[in-house]
Amino acid sequence: MGVENLAELAKLIIRSRIADPSFVFSFFSQLPDSNYSKLKYIISSSVTEACNNSVLLLGPRGCGKTAVLELVLEDLLKEHPDMISVVKLNGLLHSDNNCALKEIARQVCLEHQLQFSKMASFDENTQFLLSILRECGLAHKTIVFVLEEFDLFTEGKQRLLYSLLDALQSVSSQAVVVGVSCRLDADQLLEKRVRSRFSHRKLLFLPSSSEDFQRLVEHILLLPMDSRLPNDFRAAFNEKLLNILADEEFKGVIDQLCYSDSTVSQLLRFLFCAVCHMDLSSGSLSIENFKSALPSIQRQPKLEALKDCSVLELYLLVCMKRLEVKELESCNFNSIMKEYKSIHDSFKTSDYYARNVCLRAFEHLLQRGLISFQDNRGQGQSAEFRPVKLLISWHELQQGLKSHRSCPAILNKLMDREG
Amino acid sequence: MAETQQMKKSKTPSKGTPRAKQRISSDHLIAPQTPQSATPAAINLRRSHRLSAATPESHPVLSTCDTPQSVTRTTKNLKNPTSILPTTISITPASPQPTESRRKRKFQEKSVASAERKKDLTSGKCRRADNKVKQKVYYKKVVYDSGEFSAGHDVYVKKRSDASSDDEDPEVEECRVCFKPAGRRVMIECDDCLNGFHLKCLSPPLRAVPEGDWMCNYCVAKKNGEMVEFAEPPAGKKRARTAREKLLSSDLWAARIESLWKEVDGTYWFRARWYIIPEETAVGRQPHNLRRELYRTNDFADVEMESIIRHCSVMSPKDFANAGSEGDDVFICEYEYDIQWHNFRRIAEIDNNEDDGERVDDDDDDDDNDWSSCDEFDSDSKEDVVYEHEKKTRLSHASLLHPVAANSRKGRIFGLQKIGAKKIPEHLRCHKQTDLEKAKSKLLLATLPKSLPCRDREMDEITTFIKGAICDEQCLGRCLYVHGVPGTGKTMSVLAVMRNLKSEVDAGSIRPYCFVEINGLKLASPENIYSVIYEGLTGHRVGWKKALNFLNARFSNENKCGKDTRPCILLIDELDLLVTRNQAVLYNILDWPTKPNSKLIVIGIANTMDLPEKLLPRISSRMGIQRLCFGPYNYQQLQEIISSRLKGIDAFEKVAIEFASRKVAAVSGDARRALEICRRAAEVADYRAKKTALSGSDASGKVVAGMADVEAAIKEMFQAPHIQVIRSSCKLSKIFLAAMVYELYKTGMGETTFEKLAMAVSCFCANNGETFPGYDMLLKVGCKLGECRLLLCEAGTRHKLQKLQLNYPNDDVTFALKDSKDLPWLAKYI
Repeated sequence: MGVENLAELAKLIIRSRIADPSFVFSFFSQLPDSNYSKLKYIISSSVTEACNNSVLLLGPRGCGKTAVLELVLEDLLKEHPDMISVVKLNGLLHSDNNCALKEIARQVCLEHQLQFSKMASFDENTQFLLSILRECGLAHKTIVFVLEEFDLFTEGKQRLLYSLLDALQSVSSQAVVVGVSCRLDADQLLEKRVRSRFSHRKLLFLPSSSEDFQRLVEHILLLPMDSRLPNDFRAAFNEKLLNILADEEFKGVIDQLCYSDSTVSQLLRFLFCAVCHMDLSSGSLSIENFKSALPSIQRQPKLEALKDCSVLELYLLVCMKRLEVKELESCNFNSIMKEYKSIHDSFKTSDYYARNVCLRAFEHLLQRGLISFQDNRGQGQSAEFRPVKLLISWHELQQGLKSHRSCPAILNKLMDREG
Repeated sequence: MAETQQMKKSKTPSKGTPRAKQRISSDHLIAPQTPQSATPAAINLRRSHRLSAATPESHPVLSTCDTPQSVTRTTKNLKNPTSILPTTISITPASPQPTESRRKRKFQEKSVASAERKKDLTSGKCRRADNKVKQKVYYKKVVYDSGEFSAGHDVYVKKRSDASSDDEDPEVEECRVCFKPAGRRVMIECDDCLNGFHLKCLSPPLRAVPEGDWMCNYCVAKKNGEMVEFAEPPAGKKRARTAREKLLSSDLWAARIESLWKEVDGTYWFRARWYIIPEETAVGRQPHNLRRELYRTNDFADVEMESIIRHCSVMSPKDFANAGSEGDDVFICEYEYDIQWHNFRRIAEIDNNEDDGERVDDDDDDDDNDWSSCDEFDSDSKEDVVYEHEKKTRLSHASLLHPVAANSRKGRIFGLQKIGAKKIPEHLRCHKQTDLEKAKSKLLLATLPKSLPCRDREMDEITTFIKGAICDEQCLGRCLYVHGVPGTGKTMSVLAVMRNLKSEVDAGSIRPYCFVEINGLKLASPENIYSVIYEGLTGHRVGWKKALNFLNARFSNENKCGKDTRPCILLIDELDLLVTRNQAVLYNILDWPTKPNSKLIVIGIANTMDLPEKLLPRISSRMGIQRLCFGPYNYQQLQEIISSRLKGIDAFEKVAIEFASRKVAAVSGDARRALEICRRAAEVADYRAKKTALSGSDASGKVVAGMADVEAAIKEMFQAPHIQVIRSSCKLSKIFLAAMVYELYKTGMGETTFEKLAMAVSCFCANNGETFPGYDMLLKVGCKLGECRLLLCEAGTRHKLQKLQLNYPNDDVTFALKDSKDLPWLAKYI
């Protein structure tokens, strides 16, 4: 095998690791006092001690709430085979009670190879839920209800949560309700009587610190012993990688990454980009890979949109800016055209286009999301007469003009004068 | 190895002490109901009566009988206490002559009236004896072979009726060393091999039965890997095996009598529900099985009374632990074994207590009969079971034609048997609960406390209300509105009152009533309440419109033609959910009690105090007359509730409980919350204890939940996590939030726009040497903060025009950001 093949293989291994959340978060499960061990303790105590619990997993998106939960459930299923059944609901799909209960019944039936009827009514499904909870309690089986996007279940009368949590208070059931939400005030959304029945275990998932990040990067990128790669290749790869990781420059890159977003999912996206940029002929990662990966995940969509604008569109944007500075109440296409004409008259620019061309450019700007209609009223009106607003700020516009390849000097001058 | 050892065995956590071997009669099952039972004069000495060395023989028997005959019988038995008579009786298999002098039987016929009343209890198996000659006659109790047998008793059953005549007497166990029966001396039972030993025969001899588990020398030696020979019995004497030994080596069967009847030809039969020993299950004996463990099966058979040997007693673990000295025929049964699916299920505790057990038993009967005895039902069902019968045949037909879905009503009983543990998990038996774990299970909301402290006044009030309503001949317009914040024990108190009343009904001091419990939040729609009520009253299920008509007819019927004249108590939980736009549902329900002869009593429960006032005047005038308020608990009450649950468990510091209850009382007075806090504190302590045990550091002795744990639990429960999230968020969001606070402070407004904020951020960055990341990045950060609800913001498409608001007080954000290490300069802006 040549170096390229080996490099290809290494790339495959690393990429599959990045895409596998349970591998990534197994790193956190080793840490003492981690959320993993706490959550595992809560769920397993319900399995072994036959008690009911309800837990909320809170934290910003991308911190691994679901991933840790999956990891815990996977481990517990291994430890106690045939004793745990998992029912998964998502607030985006099942926030309606009727449909949620039906889904619970369906998943339980699937789990226990029972016949499931789509026609069953709300009542019947509620009854079924109760009797299944009772049966499972008698058989020492735990049902884990995972409610993703928990906050969405709190809309309406909260019948589902009420009946679920109320059922948990009956003697013989044995179940855990795990709510996953990125809203920190999710438990405040519960109605009083539901909140009173909720156990209020809360686990907070936080973005990790930069030291953890460094170790996590090592955990993911270092090639394992038990791969198909020859030893010398692996050793060389790892050594080079460790050199890079110890480099100040690399730390700078990571800091820059963490500056705006320090969640694990962001890091994974970054590493994935970096690994994809890997040079196959050299057979190892280089610092340049990481550097080039950084801008590719920290995109600036508005600036990029500005870069692609035509000169006419830039004119229109500058006109709108000028109108805004004049603090006109509202502007629409017609007032923009007036302004455009006045610029043309006073500066005698060479780019003067007909009204219908300008209208086309105006529509294009709308589509790009650089400007938008002020409100949703007057849908029937044609675009020319509806009031519009500029969505980009003065700074962005200025920056965009400067970086534009063929921006007329007059526009820059106009912008500077406004500033 | 000649020493008697006392060993702790983890296998039998439920057992405190080894039982002294004592013989007592096991037919002490209680209370013949009809006093005219005349016992046969001929006393059967087929089997010697069990003898007791330590306890006087008479007490259980005497307690059972109102009948003088049986007393004489027992005294006769007492006269030959030491006679261990191996009286061999060859048992003629299936001999149908009831005239045989040795077996005289006395049957106590169930009175017709009681049969009427109990028709739903025994699932319609009771027949009238005088109806037809050619019919089975069902009995409640049969005295057969000097033993009284009634439904619910557990008995030994011979495996083959022709495998007769064991020479030995199976009832008396001999000492394993000297091969003499117990006699007057106390015997001790080894907890492992279950062999009995005279205390004197042991080496060294024991003076008294030791506390804790005890193992004999042989078992101890075996455990140590030595080969031990049991002492050979003296020549010419075969070792007698007791019934227990035979059962455990599957030479006998044990069964529970479900019902008893006389066949047309005069033989007596009973319906047996078999018990099986662990070896006979699909998984075989598991290491954690107790020696005396049996499983109840769902396997039934009709067996002739002939093959019954005698009583044994099969107990739940709780009773078993309490049972001191019931002799050798005691077994423990915790699980039910499904012979179709080969799985185990715990026997619901509720099965055991009789008053609540009916419903459950009914369910059981339903599915069992479906499997095994439809033909029987076809042959002898009568009009009183027509409905049941029809349901069953329909079901069995349905099950034959196509499988019924488990979640539809018709199929509810199908397939659920499948759910069951294939094996009983080991940890349940082998694990000895620590105090903290006990405390945790006691504090569970689901565990029903034995007593309900602090609600005596309210419960008295409810009791007098209901009693007054029931005993009133007319019971006009009875309606009680119960209100109080969540977790103050409203529903629990009402249900406890109903339980007490139920026992009074059973005792006969109050006339019977029917009770329907409804939860407003569990109804699909408010109108559904009619069909639920109707189903609760009659067992039939119809649509709500039809049900409404029926109910209207029933409750407003002037001429008293209704056959069911019992008063009806309706408990509606979460009453506020029944409020519809025109409030017709509530009006109907509250209007019925005012009708003459309706005999309806409504108890409504809701959280809000002023619900009647919010309703239409015609409803509030019907509901708001009698009210009962459940105030929030104060801290002493909460403390009492918690400590009453934790009685006898040393897991909490006293101050910790007080702290928790004071904290909760100050916030809400919600008992659930207080219990949850304590449970969480116990969990925290337990978690800590387990971790130190794992890490292998010094066993610091007992871990007790203290102030710190309660503090942590309260923090977790009451404190919003936003400060932690802010502190650990990335630099840019910290700057974002600081700029937000700054901007809001500067303008004095409640909200700002993204554009202004971005200006502030870029200004911050420029002045303090941070790079300004660009508007797009900033917008993204803002949206993420909005997602966590640290900010309230409009959708990101509004971009520059997006309006932003802080979701938490400015001071919180300031506090969180004040001394952040990575951005020390933030402090000067906020």
